[in-house]
Amino acid sequence: MKTKSFYALASIAGLGFLVGLIGMYDRLLNGHLHTGYGSYVPWGLWVVFYLFFVGLTAGAFLITIMTYVFGIERLKSVGTLSAFTVLVALMCELIFISMDLGHFFRVYRFLLSPNFGSLMTWFVIFTNIMLIIYALESFFLVRQKLVQWADEGRRGAGIYRLLALGKKGYSDADCDSDKKIVRILSIISLPAGLLFYGTNGAFFAILQNRPIWNSAMTPLLFVLAALLSGGALITFLISVFHSDDEIAKILAKAVRFILVVFLLLEFIQFFVGYKTGVTSIVTSLSLITSGPHAWTFWVAHLLIGGLLPLLLLIVRPQDTRAISWACLLIVLTFVTVRYNFLIPDLSVYKLEGLEKTFFHPRLRTQYTPTITEWLASLWIVSIGVLVFISGIRWLPIVSSDQGGCDHV
Amino acid sequence: MARILPEEDLLVRMQRDLKRSLAGDRSAIRWTMVIDLAKCAGCHACTIGCVAENKLPPGVVYRPVIEEEIGTYPNVRRRFLPRPCMHCQNPPCTKVCPVHATYQNEQGVVVVNYHKCIGCRYCLVACPYSARTSDFGEWYTGPTPDPEGKMVGRKKAAEGYEATPAAEYGKQWPKRGHDSPVGNARKCHFCLHRVAVGMLPTCVTTCIGRATFFGNRNDKVSLVSELLGSPRVHRLKEELGTRPSVYYLQ
Repeated sequence: MKTKSFYALASIAGLGFLVGLIGMYDRLLNGHLHTGYGSYVPWGLWVVFYLFFVGLTAGAFLITIMTYVFGIERLKSVGTLSAFTVLVALMCELIFISMDLGHFFRVYRFLLSPNFGSLMTWFVIFTNIMLIIYALESFFLVRQKLVQWADEGRRGAGIYRLLALGKKGYSDADCDSDKKIVRILSIISLPAGLLFYGTNGAFFAILQNRPIWNSAMTPLLFVLAALLSGGALITFLISVFHSDDEIAKILAKAVRFILVVFLLLEFIQFFVGYKTGVTSIVTSLSLITSGPHAWTFWVAHLLIGGLLPLLLLIVRPQDTRAISWACLLIVLTFVTVRYNFLIPDLSVYKLEGLEKTFFHPRLRTQYTPTITEWLASLWIVSIGVLVFISGIRWLPIVSSDQGGCDHV
Repeated sequence: MARILPEEDLLVRMQRDLKRSLAGDRSAIRWTMVIDLAKCAGCHACTIGCVAENKLPPGVVYRPVIEEEIGTYPNVRRRFLPRPCMHCQNPPCTKVCPVHATYQNEQGVVVVNYHKCIGCRYCLVACPYSARTSDFGEWYTGPTPDPEGKMVGRKKAAEGYEATPAAEYGKQWPKRGHDSPVGNARKCHFCLHRVAVGMLPTCVTTCIGRATFFGNRNDKVSLVSELLGSPRVHRLKEELGTRPSVYYLQ
C-alpha cells in the first residue's frame, strides 16, 4: 500500500476512532440509555452493521475456498488478502453484536447453558469457528514471510518474531506442513461457512408472525446479499491493492451477475408482497418504499448502490477504475439494504392498537439511530479500517501471495 | 317484591381456589388467566397496579390495555383488550433464547432468570404478542431536579419509589444501576411472588370490573375451569399454535 494513501486513510480512520470514543464511552458508562431502539423495535443500528459485516465476509470467504480447497491457481495471488479480509470483518461483526447485548459479560452463558434449539446459539458457535479458522489460516499463510522478515532483521523484526511465535528459520518441510494445515482449515471452513451464512438467514426466517422475514426466501436472499456485498468488497480490494487487474475483471462480472439476480429477487419480493395484500406485509413493504427513511431504499440502495454500479459494470467492464468505483458504491450503500431488511419488519405492530395504549419513546415503532449509536459504530468501523490497512502495510498480507511458499 | 340476594365476591372464590391448588400437588397446577372483555371498562387499573407492584421503570410494561374504536358514527363502540404475557403452552420466546434464561416453570408460567439473561432481545422479536419489554435502565426520576434544601426532590422521589427493590420472582432486586433486571428482557410472570404466598396477581385484585380471573385450570371446580367452558372463550392468534394460557371471553 502506498505511503501517501496509507497515511490519508489512517488519518481518517484515526479521527473516526477518536471521535467514536465518545460513543463508546457513553455506551460503556450508560449502557443502552442513549440508544434509539426500544421494546417494539428491539434491534437498531448495531445489528444493522453486524448484518453488514456478516455479508462482507462472504466474498472473501468464497475466494479462499476457491483458492485453497479447489486450488484455482488464478486466485492464489489474492488468497491471503481474502483470508485477512474475512478475519477483520468477523472481528468487526463480533464487536458490533457484543455492543448490542444488554449484558455483554454474560457471554460465558453460551458455554454454561447453551440452548441448541436456538439459532442464536448456532450463530455464535459458527461465528467463533469461522473466527478461529480464519485467524489460524491467516497465520499459516503469512508465517513464512514473518519468519523471513524477522530473520532478515527488518525494522520491527522483534514483532515479526513474536507474531511468528518465536520461530527461526523456515524449511521446505515447514512449507509443506503449512500448506497442509491451510488446506485442512479451508476444507473445514467450507461447511462451517455455509452453515454460518445459512444460520444467519434462518435466524430471521424462523420467526413466526414477522411479515417479510418469515419466508423461505429469507435465507436465500441472505446468502445472495452476502455474496453481493462481500463479492463487491473483495473485488474492490483486489482492484485497489493488487496489480493483477484480470482477477478484478473476472470478479466484476460475477458481481454484475449477482447484482442483477439480487435486484430481481427484491422485485419479486415486493411484487408478491403487494399482490398478496396481507396488511402486515404491505405495511412493512410500504415502510421501505414510502416510510420516513424511504430515501435509503430509492436513492441510496436502488440508485447509488444498484443502478449506477450496474451501469458502470455494463458500460465499462474492462476499466479497473470503473470496477472499483462500482464495487465501492455497492459496499457503502449496502448498509441501507441491511437497514431496510431489519427495521421495517420490526416496525410493524404485532397487535392492532398497541401503539395507542402506553406511551413511551421505548414503546414506539419509529426508529432513528441516536448519536451514541452512530459514534460507537464509527469507532468500530475505524478500528476495522485501522487493523486492515495496518495489516496490509506492515504484515505480509499481499507479499505472501507473491512468491515464497505456494499454498495452492 | 324483588330482592337482591347476597353474592360472594369473585375474588373470594378465586382466593379459595388458589389456596386449594397450593395445598395440593403443585406440579399438577397450570396457572391460567381468563379475561372477560365484556366486563373490561378500560380503566387501566391493572396496568398501574402491575407497574406499582413490580416497580416497573419507564418503558417497561407488563399489562397494557389496548384500546380500539370500532365502527363509524353513530354506530361506534370502544373495545378494550388487556394484554398480559400469554404464557403460551408452546412459547416461541423460550425456544429462541440462546442460554435458557427464559423457560416454562413446572406450573406452565413462562419466566425469566434475570441472572442468566444476556440481553440479546431475540425473545422480544420472537414474541407474537409483543408481551416482552426490555429494561434499558431508565429512571422515572432521572430528569427530576434535586435542588439543595428542598423537601421534595429527586432523591426523595427516588427513595420513595424507584430505590425500593422489586420483589419479582421472590427476590429483592437491588437498587437500579447496571445490574439485572436492567439490560434484561422483562415480562408478566403472573405475580408468582404473590401467588407463592397465596395472593392473587395484582391485575386481578385491582380490576374494578372483576373482568380478570386467575386460577388453576387443572382444578375442575375452580372458577377459571368453569369459565373455560364458556362458548365465548377464545385466545389471541390461535392460528400460530402458541396455545396461550390466557383466555378471553368475547
